[in-house]
Amino acid sequence: MHESCPRGFDQALLSGHLDGELTQAADQRVRLHLEECPACRALFDQIRSVKETAMSTQFNEPREEQWTERPAGPVSAATRFTGWFLAIVWALALSGYALWQVATGPEGLAVKLLVFGGLTGVVLLGISILMDRLGEARSDRYREVKK
Amino acid sequence: MALIEPPIPPAPPEPEEAVLLRAAFAGDAGAWEALLRRCRRTAYLFALQLTGDPDEALDAAQESLLRLFRHRGRFDPARPLRPWLLKIVRNTVADSRRRDAVRRRAAETVLAAGGGRSPEDPHGEAERQETRRMVWEALGELDAAAREILILREYHDLPYREIAEVLGIPVGTVMSRLHAARALMARHLRRRMKGVGHA
Ligand SMILES: [Zn+2]
Repeated sequence: MHESCPRGFDQALLSGHLDGELTQAADQRVRLHLEECPACRALFDQIRSVKETAMSTQFNEPREEQWTERPAGPVSAATRFTGWFLAIVWALALSGYALWQVATGPEGLAVKLLVFGGLTGVVLLGISILMDRLGEARSDRYREVKK
Repeated sequence: MALIEPPIPPAPPEPEEAVLLRAAFAGDAGAWEALLRRCRRTAYLFALQLTGDPDEALDAAQESLLRLFRHRGRFDPARPLRPWLLKIVRNTVADSRRRDAVRRRAAETVLAAGGGRSPEDPHGEAERQETRRMVWEALGELDAAAREILILREYHDLPYREIAEVLGIPVGTVMSRLHAARALMARHLRRRMKGVGHA
């Protein structure tokens, strides 16, 4: 029906009028035109009613626990990262000290091999876990925000 | 002993976004948590309106908040936060969309029952809810560009200036694009109404 104005009025101004985005002069022009053009008036009433309908629409929202069930927020994630970092530094320092003690101490060869072998195993495990984690972090979950 | 209870001090005013922003950017972790809490509802609703899927919307909202936090260095805290947040949500949804085409869920699972606001007029309310559903479904039939500009204007009440910022288009083109989307929407609705015999 009202696909365009029979008098050639720029109907985009109807939207500007509805949204209160026009200058006073343009707004006045729309007002005057609406009084004399049934086609534009019909379209205007329609877009206004859609806007009012949309504004009164309410959406279902997640429950509080649905937010917290998900991965922790960025601040707690940062805290956790710091925690892991410090724990790893501590473990490295401690095992370094133990290795040095055992290497320079009076223990027999068997004990030394036991300690070195065990620690090497733990370190290899740690490295493999770390590599897995890095792989995950590099996957698409954390991409840059585009311009 | 005091005979009269001392007046209860008024609750401190809700910290304004600007105050929170400043504190957050000064490195206050508590302010960040509060700020992201304020943002998450908007992020979720926009993602839901774009995708029509509550699960995907929750994922996109979480991811968007994470990105907002990670890329905070690119944001100028003197500017309003909302357009920036919405822009991130839009990008996040676009990224996840490339992976798998998502189906919009039935209106009943997405829209909240509008009841309760006019108990004296349950019939009128039922009819209004029906109209809301129809508008929502018509929105799903539009192309993505028409849909997103309508969502920003009609559901989020964004001024043209902020719409331009979110979509990365000149302010001068917002009105004509928006109006084209509205005209398209009106056409879809007229068709639907004829379909159910309302016309
Ligand atoms: Zn006209």
